Amino acid sequence: MRKTITVILLIVAVIMPFLAFDILPVIGDPQSAPNTHVSDYYIEHAIEECNSPNMVTAVIVDYRAFDTMFETTVMFLAGLSVVIILANRPKKRIPAHSSLKRVRHSGGRPVFETVNKDVMISVIEPLILIYAIYVLFHGEVSLGGGFQAGALIGMTYLLDVMVVKRDKPIFNLSKTKAAAIAGFGPLIYALTGIVTILGGGLYLEYNKIPLSVHQAELHSIGITAVEIGVTIGVAGTIITILSALMERTSFDDDND
Amino acid sequence: MTLILQAVLLAGLIGITIAIIFGKDLMVSVVIYCAFSFLTMLLYNIMGAPDVAFTEAVIGVISTVFFIIILRSIDRKTK
Repeated sequence: MRKTITVILLIVAVIMPFLAFDILPVIGDPQSAPNTHVSDYYIEHAIEECNSPNMVTAVIVDYRAFDTMFETTVMFLAGLSVVIILANRPKKRIPAHSSLKRVRHSGGRPVFETVNKDVMISVIEPLILIYAIYVLFHGEVSLGGGFQAGALIGMTYLLDVMVVKRDKPIFNLSKTKAAAIAGFGPLIYALTGIVTILGGGLYLEYNKIPLSVHQAELHSIGITAVEIGVTIGVAGTIITILSALMERTSFDDDND
Repeated sequence: MTLILQAVLLAGLIGITIAIIFGKDLMVSVVIYCAFSFLTMLLYNIMGAPDVAFTEAVIGVISTVFFIIILRSIDRKTK
């Protein structure tokens, strides 16, 4: 009985979107509702109002700054909920043969078991980190920004945990520490808004930051501060989820 | 040309999804899921959203690693 209801509901749920295809506007249609009011305004005023060469950045962190702030908060909450869900599970037992598998230091090199891992730690990780910083601070001009930079930093930590022996990673962050770091992201974002209020403007109105530089500079500073907040939030959340997962998984069994 | 490419990619997405659902080995499903996010990335690129494609590429890799970590603590084969 329950299965039949599920199947019927699924079929309905599949048919409904197909019926809606006729009503949807064509992608990029200039006559559709979002392209007649909002897009025109953004295209005409983005450069003079936000002084940002990249219109996507102008829309995301300037016109819709409030929206992005709560997106970052939602991501932080997602990391917290993973920690809460996985909190009281016992860790899987480590098999007895795990002591046999040790890092070999044969002749001084390779340091981390194999040459592959050496290259990963000493070449690829620094490259990813440099790229993350570039993406963060160059997001106004090119594609990219806080989310991508944070994800790249999280990926560096992930590589680090994967390559180095799991009980002794280079930067050992427990899930609570990582969650605390992730919380600083939305905090930095919100404080940027408070700084603009102190400067006499609205919340997150970047050209009211109390500094005596050109308006374009003010926008640049504001956007960079906000993007740093987003970066810390995303990277911290990824590290939180990773640590919470790693704490209850043992990696020393080699049977698969 | 773009239309053909989009059609091929969308067909590939449907095929990959079916392969993920009916796969017996969960590890294979996870790796194919990585391919799913790669094809999605290509689609975003064709549709003219390179920053979304960038995010998708990075997040696809990270989520694959998360799934693999989870797989180590559960049974790999589906019943």
